[in-house]
Amino acid sequence: MYIRIINGGEFLSDPLTILTLTPIGVGLILLVLPQLLPGNLASSVRKFSRNVSFGVSMALFAFATYLSFTTFGGIDWLDINMGEYELMNDEPVTLISSIGVSWIVGVDALSLPMVWLTALLIPLSMLVEWDAKEGHIFHPLILVMEGALLGVFVVLDLFVFYIFWEMTLIPMFFLILVWGGEDRKYASMKFFIYTFTASVIMLIGILVMYFHTGYVSGVSGTLTGHHFSLIEMDSEMIQSEGLRHLVWILLLIGFATKMPSVPVHTWLPDAHVQAPTAGSMLLAGVMLKMGAYGFLRVSVSLFPESTVVFTPILIILGMASLVYGAWVCMGQTNLKRMVAYSSVSHMGLIFLGIATMQPLGIAGALFMMFAHGIISPLLFAVAGAFKHHYHTLEIGSMRGIAHHSPYLAAHMMLGWMGSLGLPLLAGFVAEVAIMIAFWMSFGWLVILPALTLIITAVYYLTSMQKTIFESNDRHHGILPDSLHGEEPRDITWNENTSMFILGILTIAFGIFPFIFFDMMSDWSSGFVQEVLLNHLIEQGVTP
Amino acid sequence: MNLPISSSEAELVIPELIMLFGLIGIILIPNLGNASFRIPLTRIHVPVFIGGSRFKSTSNPKLPNQVSLIIFISALFFGLMQNSYGKIGDTLEVTEFSRLFSLIFIAALLLATIATTHRIPARPNVKPPNDDDSENLSSKKINALIDNRRQVDFHIILIMVGLGMSLMSMATHLFMLFVCIELASLSSYILVAFHKESKVGGEAGMKYFIVGSVASAVGIYGMSLLYLWSGDLSLDALAIKWSESSSIDPLAGIAVGLMLVAFGFKVGAAPFHLAAPDAYSGASSPVAGLLATASKAMGFVALMRILVSVTMPTEGEAFWYITIAVIAVVTMTWGNLAALTSTNPKRMLAYSSVSHAGYMLAGLAAIGSGLGSEEAIELVLTAIVFHLAVLVIFKFGAFLVLSLLETEERGHKLEDLHGLARREPIVAGSMFLFMLSLAGVPPLSGFLSKFLMINGIVNISAGTGASDATSVLDWLSSVEPVFWLAFAIVINSALSMFYYLRIGLVMFFEEPEDSKSIKDAFSLRLAIAICAILTVIVGIGPLSDSLLEMVADAINSFVSN
Repeated sequence: MYIRIINGGEFLSDPLTILTLTPIGVGLILLVLPQLLPGNLASSVRKFSRNVSFGVSMALFAFATYLSFTTFGGIDWLDINMGEYELMNDEPVTLISSIGVSWIVGVDALSLPMVWLTALLIPLSMLVEWDAKEGHIFHPLILVMEGALLGVFVVLDLFVFYIFWEMTLIPMFFLILVWGGEDRKYASMKFFIYTFTASVIMLIGILVMYFHTGYVSGVSGTLTGHHFSLIEMDSEMIQSEGLRHLVWILLLIGFATKMPSVPVHTWLPDAHVQAPTAGSMLLAGVMLKMGAYGFLRVSVSLFPESTVVFTPILIILGMASLVYGAWVCMGQTNLKRMVAYSSVSHMGLIFLGIATMQPLGIAGALFMMFAHGIISPLLFAVAGAFKHHYHTLEIGSMRGIAHHSPYLAAHMMLGWMGSLGLPLLAGFVAEVAIMIAFWMSFGWLVILPALTLIITAVYYLTSMQKTIFESNDRHHGILPDSLHGEEPRDITWNENTSMFILGILTIAFGIFPFIFFDMMSDWSSGFVQEVLLNHLIEQGVTP
Repeated sequence: MNLPISSSEAELVIPELIMLFGLIGIILIPNLGNASFRIPLTRIHVPVFIGGSRFKSTSNPKLPNQVSLIIFISALFFGLMQNSYGKIGDTLEVTEFSRLFSLIFIAALLLATIATTHRIPARPNVKPPNDDDSENLSSKKINALIDNRRQVDFHIILIMVGLGMSLMSMATHLFMLFVCIELASLSSYILVAFHKESKVGGEAGMKYFIVGSVASAVGIYGMSLLYLWSGDLSLDALAIKWSESSSIDPLAGIAVGLMLVAFGFKVGAAPFHLAAPDAYSGASSPVAGLLATASKAMGFVALMRILVSVTMPTEGEAFWYITIAVIAVVTMTWGNLAALTSTNPKRMLAYSSVSHAGYMLAGLAAIGSGLGSEEAIELVLTAIVFHLAVLVIFKFGAFLVLSLLETEERGHKLEDLHGLARREPIVAGSMFLFMLSLAGVPPLSGFLSKFLMINGIVNISAGTGASDATSVLDWLSSVEPVFWLAFAIVINSALSMFYYLRIGLVMFFEEPEDSKSIKDAFSLRLAIAICAILTVIVGIGPLSDSLLEMVADAINSFVSN
């Protein structure tokens, strides 16, 4: 591999490879270099590593933006057929030739918004924790995280996919463990073991798929004769229907745990509450979406028949997450815990959107992934700032933020409104699309998810009233004990900038959802027509 | 002059000859002195060099170690360079297979030698204790003097282990095979008990010796029964006789069963593994590493010779199939469960090595099922041998890290690893890599070998599942039981994750008992770093391909014989 990289300059000039490997490379260099250099040089590297990390992530964001918009990059994202990818590397680069692992990258309308979202959230989360202690480790770690996350979304080889999937755990594990709250040890271990076990189960599913692939010259392993390439796999490769169902279930366990869906969601609230703000933002903003992305990319695409057969499971899981998550939110007194459970609830909507098997429903689920990826980081940034300045996360211990931090109050309000689905904000588009599709497929059953949205409104509005406004004193809020009588400071410029950008985007994508929604609905209608339709008719479901 | 070995034959065994002459050299060189012989009635002194007062250079206690390093490095080098193969006499044959295993053994011994440089350090400048030394100081001085005295002994035995193992892989005759195994085994019993001043050392050596010699006796008894049955102990003759007999003679069956006990002890298969954890934890880390890698590989060579070359029928399942399959599952599960509860890192590694033996036995069992095609069988054998080869890298790497800790009298309990990352970031990082590789995390080399194993077993069995099964349970009930071996490996790997990760956890997140960095042992650190780098690049990239090619060639030569 190493020799081939040097020989083939093409491998490195490929845009998605640059996007994925640069942050990992730079991040690792920044982490290791101070260990190897003598004292003076090491401390000067440490001084600059925060700025370098931020600069690199900004450059990558600019690059991702350039690629994402037709006006700049010149790629028409509405004109991709199903099963085709843009920006692919010309020919697969063999990584482990004996077992058939290759480096294949490519994006389509399913992964592109996620790539852009990741590139956007990384600099923002760095900005929020600009003054994190031991920043020379913190910021490069986030940079490594960016590479791993982007890798999950762009790689089209299941083996490399799995490696990146696991690689995201490591920086996050350290982020929680080193910069987390009081109970960080327990939370990080639970996070790691829980998700790791689930992905090992997923790996078994991937291996079964691998053993059923046929020989494809150039990609297949020289020793085993099988390959991991996703583009060369098809739904017919496993002949036994029973085995197909088994693989589907194994994959679902891995993906549903990541999403997370009830009943395998219990790692999420712990991880979120203990994680540092930047960690929470990335966890909720991008890592949860990996589950939904993997489910659509692997499970639904390769096993459409099993997906149709198991639709009731999806509905039950989705509905349980939606209702249970919202219901639990009402009882939460911890701000971050509440936002975490609201994420569980919103992820339930994604399962429901996919279960509708309608183009609109799937497009809605995709947009939900994107919108939640903007709104939930805003919510966690707000919660983090709240903790930072009021030293508490208890809802109701601090009342009347509006008096002390008007900016924080405004961001908080905007984020919560976006999350409960206020029209003209990003969340609304997704929710409405899913609801309409759900009505088209399941008729009056739509009442259940619709009523849940009311619960959402209830808990957000209650806590809004408790934290932002409720104070008997006209000019002064009720300060929590944790401040020990000190006056709280207003939020810092970096927190404010980051939240401001996320807020603007929440509004922008609420008013102009078509920026990404068009390509999403294009992808979903192609997906339903070419992948799902036959199986739907076979099972007697009229789409 | 009539040499016992012709020059063309000698070319084939250069590494072994280097070790043999090195063995003689390492006995002679430290004895060189200014002794001379006076011709009677004259005043002419003829120097004879052996004896007298030794020269300064030859009396240096560091010398044996250096000689032994040179021997193993040059043996490794010539072994790698060699590309001619052939028979030597009636009982030895050099093939790609035997050469690969010689290299595995020599590499393990080289690592052991490097680690011993710092584990049993030679101190040229130490003086005998005076009367006015404190008790503490004088006992320290005495210990250092003892260490100086026993330098030669250790390295002589080490080279004998190398000779025994290396010749063993070439043996084509069962008797030769056993003699070589005994040469290596007896030497390794001494190595285990080498630290006789410590209680655990003697106890471990004694236990290992008693259990080992009982196992050997049982094996030799089996071998004698086999001789009664066939009248010839050369492997080829045995294989021919075996394939000619239409049903299995009970005498031969019992004989092979008894031999399995002896080899099962060598590889550490349950229930013959019980002495292993005590032996590992009592021995010094370099020796324990040797037991876990080279000694295990030796046992597997013997098993493969007996099970695959001799008793494997051309069609249908072998008579040992069920036995080995059950032993495999029990071994891996027992090893992992015991490792979960052990708090001594060496014990933990011992149990982990037991469970690894289970994975490889599962591969052998899958071959024994007789369901696989020739390619599938070769694939499983490749996986086993590749695993044995890469074990030297990361399992021995882990023992090297423990050796480094042992230089300051630590490494016997989990607390000794606490906070290692803060004291020694690079060493702790390497240790974490070794653990991940042992657990089989992609893309490290441990993953590749485990993956090939699962791939081979699934290849043999997955085709047996009914293709018209429409529900999950239908399919599962229709698949051959061999498939469940792969499943057992996967489940066990997930189980093993916990204790491997625990090592990483305590290294990174516990407070160290002592915040000073460990002794500056350059060559040992270098060896650790090289092992860590190899762990990664043998898992992914061109080096993994070339090693796999080597292994595949070796298996080709093994199967075609």
